[in-house]
Amino acid sequence: MSERLKAVFQTKPAGVTRLISYIMAGDPSVEASLRRLRGLADYGVDILELGVPFSDPMADGVVIQAAAERALNAQMTVKKTLELVQEFRKTHNTPLLLMSYLNPLLHYGWDRFVEDAAEAGVDGFILPDLPWREGKGLRTRTEKSVGNKLSFIPMIAQTSREQDIEAVSQVTEGFAYVLSRNGITGGEVEIPDNVSVFIESLRDSLQIPRCVGFGIQKAEQVRALAKICDGVVVGSALVKAFAKLDQEGLEEKDLIEQEKEVFTWLASLKR
Amino acid sequence: MVKEKLHVLSDGGYETKGHFGPYGGAYVPETLVPALRELEEAYMRSGQDESFQKEFRDLLQRYVGRPSLFYEAKRLSEQLGGARIYLKREDLNHTGAHKINNTLGQILLAKAMGKKRVIAETGAGQHGVATATACALFALPCVVYMGEEDVRRQKLNVLRMKLLGAEVRTVTHGSCTLKDAINEALRDWVTNVEETFYCFGTAAGPHPYPTIVRDFQAVIGHETREQALKELGKLPDAIIACIGGGSNAIGIFHPFIPDPEVRLIGVEAGGTGNKTGENAATLCLGEPGVLHGAYSYLLQDDDGQIVVTTSVSAGLDYPGVGPEHSNLKETGRADYVSISDQEALDACSLLCQTEGILPALESAHAIAYAAKLAPRLSKDQVIVVNLSGRGDKDVETLAQYLEGGADHE
Repeated sequence: MSERLKAVFQTKPAGVTRLISYIMAGDPSVEASLRRLRGLADYGVDILELGVPFSDPMADGVVIQAAAERALNAQMTVKKTLELVQEFRKTHNTPLLLMSYLNPLLHYGWDRFVEDAAEAGVDGFILPDLPWREGKGLRTRTEKSVGNKLSFIPMIAQTSREQDIEAVSQVTEGFAYVLSRNGITGGEVEIPDNVSVFIESLRDSLQIPRCVGFGIQKAEQVRALAKICDGVVVGSALVKAFAKLDQEGLEEKDLIEQEKEVFTWLASLKR
Repeated sequence: MVKEKLHVLSDGGYETKGHFGPYGGAYVPETLVPALRELEEAYMRSGQDESFQKEFRDLLQRYVGRPSLFYEAKRLSEQLGGARIYLKREDLNHTGAHKINNTLGQILLAKAMGKKRVIAETGAGQHGVATATACALFALPCVVYMGEEDVRRQKLNVLRMKLLGAEVRTVTHGSCTLKDAINEALRDWVTNVEETFYCFGTAAGPHPYPTIVRDFQAVIGHETREQALKELGKLPDAIIACIGGGSNAIGIFHPFIPDPEVRLIGVEAGGTGNKTGENAATLCLGEPGVLHGAYSYLLQDDDGQIVVTTSVSAGLDYPGVGPEHSNLKETGRADYVSISDQEALDACSLLCQTEGILPALESAHAIAYAAKLAPRLSKDQVIVVNLSGRGDKDVETLAQYLEGGADHE
């Protein structure tokens, strides 16, 4: 695991909980993505997730589907995503994870991809269409090529059973991305009340911190979850807030001012 | 070179079954992993369950009308000169295509698993109709996802699904065809996974679907084998089937895989040309990658994005293909070719006028390739074409073609 990612879980967070944010690379442009990554880091986000756009995002709801479409229309690629990370690394040390479907990465060439990603300053991956147990080959291969610089973040679903959780229980670094509910990304489906029981039940079986994502968009949700987990992920709600600004056709100066309000709102979720 | 670079997913250590050489697997969100395991277990149990097998056989015989005819197309063969052409008449099945073989099997599984709700995707509408039919028969609520473009060009099947009591949900993003319908069905499944059975229409998708669909469709090949031996006293020299996802093709090919003397030929949609986006010839022109849960050939661009496909036939208009076909290509056991929109439309007319049989535009691709191959073979050789569906659903497209103004770009 990278020192950057390790540091996040070594210290107690200043506010209530650790905050993980998600935006899509290249939505609506490389420049905007870079500015927003920097802003999110400056406003205290603990871990950044950066989405790699894909034409067929089967685990995503309408908000992130639309973000991927905007990014692809703006000619975003895997290569440009890595360049974006490299640029961000020149100024910031906040850990950054790429969230991507498998195909664009496989097509880039896996070995070349992990070398370039490590070089650019990526800290790890969240791969929504690679179940943990199917990913063993790729993880072994990656470790052979770049050592342990890049972490694979396992996902645990509400449907996961003993054997799935058992596989993740061997993991000793990074964190587990626990899905708040069945379904796709976005706030269309409510998080069930019994989610806390599930998260609690994982405490004994996992060696790594548990962060919760999918459908989190309100301060009260964050407050409730903060008590029982080690971090929360805010994705679609953030993408939606930026997309709303982008559609308003603001002057750049005004856009930048308005973005600060989004950062402030997000940072307020931590407290 | 490219292929070696890409086979990394299977380079040791994958724990699940369902690989065909390096192809296949189950690359799905973690939420679906237990559901696929549950399906696999139910499927394994059904194989040992004599009452399940009997019910399936009875349905195929008394409801679908199997075995389907093995018909010698004499006038077609005479006109082409060369090999004798036989048609495996899946178009005569109840609902008009091979799809019903699979949906009845899967709905029996849904029932055995105690699922309360069925979802499906459809391209040409044949799988949607077949799923809606099976759901009506077993009193299960049914939701079918269908791309907007396909809803437009397969109106008849949309109506049929509604008459059968299914809810048709139009998918309005992406290319608005089969691939997007599958994305949307997967999103529904991952959201409602506990009570929902996903009745997958082709021999693609995550394990165990490619195996389940193949096994339910293999009845086509088993019958063909028996009928050929009885009628001809030998196995056919070549078997030709159209391929979108590849279920009718793998169904007729599979029992012949151990017989090297039988050529297996899959026919893909050549659309309007060989450039990216002009066709749906995945195995002929694509590269391996991951889409809809499996590692298999895909039509993709330089950045690994899935490309929009073109075909006059909705059922073949798909940028992926079943993983077993990818492996049959890799091992050289089957050959894959493509047929253009125009050639398929011409073949459709040819079969109508020589045999009085209106094929589905999908199946017309297989006829078109048979028309190319037959003259190159001798009169004692036999070609079997899997006539996977009937063409009633395509009359609007065909009318435009006859009037000289094809509406596809």
